[in-house]
Amino acid sequence: MKFQKKRAATKQGIPTSSMPDIIFMLLLFFMVATTLREQEVYVSFTLPEAKAIEKIENKRLISYIYVGKNGRIQIDDAIVQLKDIQDIMYKKRVALPNVIVSLRIDKNTNMGLVTDIQQALRKADARRINYSARMKE
Amino acid sequence: MVSLKRRKREGAGEFSTASMADITFLLLLFFLVSTVIDVDTGIGLTLPEYIPPEEQELAPLSKDRLAALLINENGDVLLNGEIIAIPQIKDNLVERIKSKIDLPKNKKLVVSIKTDRKTNYNLYIQALDEVKSAYFQVREEYALNHWGKKVKDLTDEQVKELREKIPIIISIAEPEQIK
Repeated sequence: MKFQKKRAATKQGIPTSSMPDIIFMLLLFFMVATTLREQEVYVSFTLPEAKAIEKIENKRLISYIYVGKNGRIQIDDAIVQLKDIQDIMYKKRVALPNVIVSLRIDKNTNMGLVTDIQQALRKADARRINYSARMKE
Repeated sequence: MVSLKRRKREGAGEFSTASMADITFLLLLFFLVSTVIDVDTGIGLTLPEYIPPEEQELAPLSKDRLAALLINENGDVLLNGEIIAIPQIKDNLVERIKSKIDLPKNKKLVVSIKTDRKTNYNLYIQALDEVKSAYFQVREEYALNHWGKKVKDLTDEQVKELREKIPIIISIAEPEQIK
């Protein structure tokens, strides 16, 4: 008696024709989910850590103020002086009434500077702020 | 008669899609490398309205309502005049917030945070974090006791009620000018 090897009728091998579609889907996901960093940060800072932090849902409303280790302040693409903050933020506030100001401040900054910035923000009536912080492990 | 035959080249009208996957992979890699997913997280706060000093009025606040937190430049934290360690702030406040849940709106706890000009920003954030944590804990417990749900699962109306019952009132006092 002759034994015959059983073989499935179908071809072996994975069909690769749908591969581009799958990768396209991945690509689209990453394109939608990520945002390109639109501005260069000139100051170096380490954010403080905290536990009771929230995510900001609406990214479009955020405007950043960076304060670096050496106390330099950056808004948008430029280093600014403390006295200019009020005008800049007021313009932003007029353009976008419910702007959220995210304060990315180095953790070793003195509170004096932070308070001065807050005062400027109050005068500019941009009162929704967010102290940027990392999640504490 | 010569029969006219249409010439058909083999494989005409098609292009190979085998390299498509490679091209899209390349694109994918580009986007993976060039983008940063940074979710912006932080402690939210609404600053008080700016009122020029000459128009400011002193609103009397009973001692019972006030939790005054003072952080001086040496890093000492004082709660109502007594030195306290930062991790203790939460437990201290939770009790006080809880006792005021059923009181009317104008009797709720007010947490005032005051710093010196030379206080470290990190310390301030740690203290603020503790205060926020205390509020979140009380809210979480309240939601669990009344609706048996977590805060994030509540309906809009319940959230509104929760916010009315346990409002987060944090007052950022202006630092005194110390020369």
